[in-house]
Amino acid sequence: MKPLQIPVEHKTLLNGLHVVIAPDSTAPVVTVGVYYKIGFRREPQGRSGFAHLFEHMMFQGSENAAKMQHIKLINSSGGVLNGSTMYDVTNYYEAVPSNALERVLWLEADRMRALKVDDENLRNQRDVVKEEVRVNVMNQPYGGFPWLDMPPVAFRNWANAHNFYGDFADLDAASLTDVQTFFRTYYVPNNAVLLILGDVNVADGFALAEKHFAHIPAGPSPKFADPSEPRQTEERRGDVVEKFGTLPAMAIGYVMPQRRTPDWYAMGLLDQFLHGGRAGRIYRELVLEKQLAVEADGGIDDIFGYNGPTQMTTRILHKPELTSEETLAAFDAIIADVHGTGITDAELQQVKVKWRSDYFGTLEGGRGGYMPKYGLMHLLACFTLFDGEPQLVNSILDSFLAVSKQQVQDFARTYLRPENRAIVFRKPVAATQEAA
Amino acid sequence: MATQAPRAVAAIPDLAPEREIRWPQRIKAKLANGLELVLVESRSIPKFHGELFFRSGNAAAAGRAVSLADMTASMVRTGTARSSSRQIEERLRGLGADLSLAAGQDTSAISFAGLSDNIEPVLHLVNELAREASFPAPEFDRERRQKLEEVKLERTQPGFLAGERLRKILFDKHPYALVSPTEEQVAAYTLDQMRSLYRDFYTPENALLILVGDFDSAAVRSDVENVFGSWSGKKPLSDESPAPPTPRGRRVYLVHVPGAVQAQILCGCHAITRQHPDWIRIALTNSLYGGAFNSRLVMNIREDKGYTYSPRSAVNPLRQYGYFSVSAAVRNEVVAASLTEIFYEIDKLRSLTVPKSELLDAQNYLSGVFSMGLATQSGLLSQISTVILNELPDDYLETYRQKLRALIPGDVLSAARTYIDSANMQIVVVGDREQIEKQAALFGELETYDAKGLRLS
Repeated sequence: MKPLQIPVEHKTLLNGLHVVIAPDSTAPVVTVGVYYKIGFRREPQGRSGFAHLFEHMMFQGSENAAKMQHIKLINSSGGVLNGSTMYDVTNYYEAVPSNALERVLWLEADRMRALKVDDENLRNQRDVVKEEVRVNVMNQPYGGFPWLDMPPVAFRNWANAHNFYGDFADLDAASLTDVQTFFRTYYVPNNAVLLILGDVNVADGFALAEKHFAHIPAGPSPKFADPSEPRQTEERRGDVVEKFGTLPAMAIGYVMPQRRTPDWYAMGLLDQFLHGGRAGRIYRELVLEKQLAVEADGGIDDIFGYNGPTQMTTRILHKPELTSEETLAAFDAIIADVHGTGITDAELQQVKVKWRSDYFGTLEGGRGGYMPKYGLMHLLACFTLFDGEPQLVNSILDSFLAVSKQQVQDFARTYLRPENRAIVFRKPVAATQEAA
Repeated sequence: MATQAPRAVAAIPDLAPEREIRWPQRIKAKLANGLELVLVESRSIPKFHGELFFRSGNAAAAGRAVSLADMTASMVRTGTARSSSRQIEERLRGLGADLSLAAGQDTSAISFAGLSDNIEPVLHLVNELAREASFPAPEFDRERRQKLEEVKLERTQPGFLAGERLRKILFDKHPYALVSPTEEQVAAYTLDQMRSLYRDFYTPENALLILVGDFDSAAVRSDVENVFGSWSGKKPLSDESPAPPTPRGRRVYLVHVPGAVQAQILCGCHAITRQHPDWIRIALTNSLYGGAFNSRLVMNIREDKGYTYSPRSAVNPLRQYGYFSVSAAVRNEVVAASLTEIFYEIDKLRSLTVPKSELLDAQNYLSGVFSMGLATQSGLLSQISTVILNELPDDYLETYRQKLRALIPGDVLSAARTYIDSANMQIVVVGDREQIEKQAALFGELETYDAKGLRLS
């Protein structure tokens, strides 16, 4: 087994911007990312969906690159770009032929320094975001299930419980002043990390980062909303209507430990054991063997990227001839068995090999194959912003591979309990009408 | 909004000189049993990616049953003469491997990836699946039920409904018109049909194995000889398919989904395959029109007008025929406005020469994205399989950028005029009839269908 030795260099500029470089000259392609430590979890109350709407605004123009210029400059340099808003971070990234590196850094610096947008841009992107919500959620079977359905059932703190894509009324209420305030508060260099991966010379990369980003002034350290949850003492349940699909569905989410606590590593392996594809315990029993469910998948959404209350969620679409309670009982029987007998040596061995293989795969790709090194970028960014330690990318695997079977079983007993979970039932409207 | 701007570099930095692109060596071999092999070393991670293709898919199976090749593919991993479904899945997990089986119109394929340490055992498992699938009856009952639910579900997805309707319009009696079975057709599948398809399609003479990864080619080549050498089987006979129709005049096909809160637009016309000498011309033309974020259509109906989140155009190259398509999911109120802009941009591209600077931008874009395949094992595998399955010249990867760079504005004009057939474009709109019918009918004679494909009016 080859040990992992990804070269990673890290510096912090005087304005607080972290710069992380991971050189690899295999292909003449460079991936650039800027991560800001703000996601939809801690967006302002009364402005649900704002972090994501704001992400769209970052493509609408900056002082030296007007609207459309940004996209045009990346595409016409032979590159692709995108951004995404997550729970605790928002990212902007480009993959370009390496001869366009300085141009990309210039663009990212320009919008970090001086976003320049107007009311017309805001109206335009508000419309675009509404169509995004319609195409992904409102006009799709099982749209938003369970990522939008679960939070209001599972959590009590608004930060964790609100609609992350945004209520349309809140999107409509968002103003240019909100955009300005959000930008000044969170989009400061001391709340961000710049990543340069691939075909770059380390010294050149740092010099270019210095040239384009060093003069951007630091801001006050952002104050973040407290995302902590009151202690949960009972199982929580909720119902959501399914407008298009005909199969009843449910999602079962258990609250997980904080990142990089000792339990967190056992969690990773238990997740693989339960949700690891067709060999995973849940799919094997519910779909392949007992044949109660048509789909059963899930897991921890983004194990390396979360920094607040998070669940491991199982998503099940089951046969309509079974009741929800019968299906849930079959799921609970699996959990009870894991409590009772845990995981065998042979299973743990398999799970670890698969974990290692998946980890390598994540580093190389991880975003639909069109963004080289997306996964490596994401891990380096989260290890820098949350743990202050980008080198974890080389060592963290060992901690997962050191987990014992006793730890996995103990973890299951501690965390997979009814008073630590929430369940959302997605009920087809067709079936509901038949019953009534 | 304007923030206080400290000192900055105001001018856009120039591009540095381009680094040379070097595609890795493809080591090609043909085993005595006819299996074609391509090996490519790529050391981006200590893993490998592989795909075993059979050059027959759902189109070749259309005379037997709709999408039978795909159903057969999903059955293959559920048991072999030596292993149960559970044993197969646990072996894969223990090897750190991923594996999937699927069939498209033109191929059936086993795709896999795993740790470099475990190439040989993964190849043994792939070999077992390719040669010894046992089609257990209880597994079939389960897979068929899952397929049944899957085909019900896809009829609630606007994107699926639009694509299915467009294929029916463009291909009619040709097998490419059949994208998915009905519930009745799923219920009628038999194990015998699948066993016979498996015998006919899954043969070494019909197969291509591509392996890309962190390995030593000579060693892997000898593994492949050892693992697959004793396999035998002929290439299947292929049937002639009826030619697709050539629809004349614009027509509008509305697929009625009661309660839809958005309209899915999909327009299309016949175009060309990858083998056609004009392929790069149409690829460039498509990129300018709606194939990139920076394209005219996206800038118009998303960034300027805010009608839609994800408008895109594409050239869809199946092996025998290719077609051009434009899609956009738009709010109900702007169906007519969106179609107007879609056709405005098409007609503009067919009438006015593209400015040289815009052409250069699009050439840079396609050239850069093409080379990105180099950076990942799965990207390389995809580029190489495209070249081989479409029987493109050996130096296709090496010469693509040069051919692309040689194109001039006149090439785009002629490609748009020839292949983006504005006057005969077929228009599909999926949505709530009450909300969108009047707008849709402005663009041609209207036919209305329900989600199951029944004609309503």
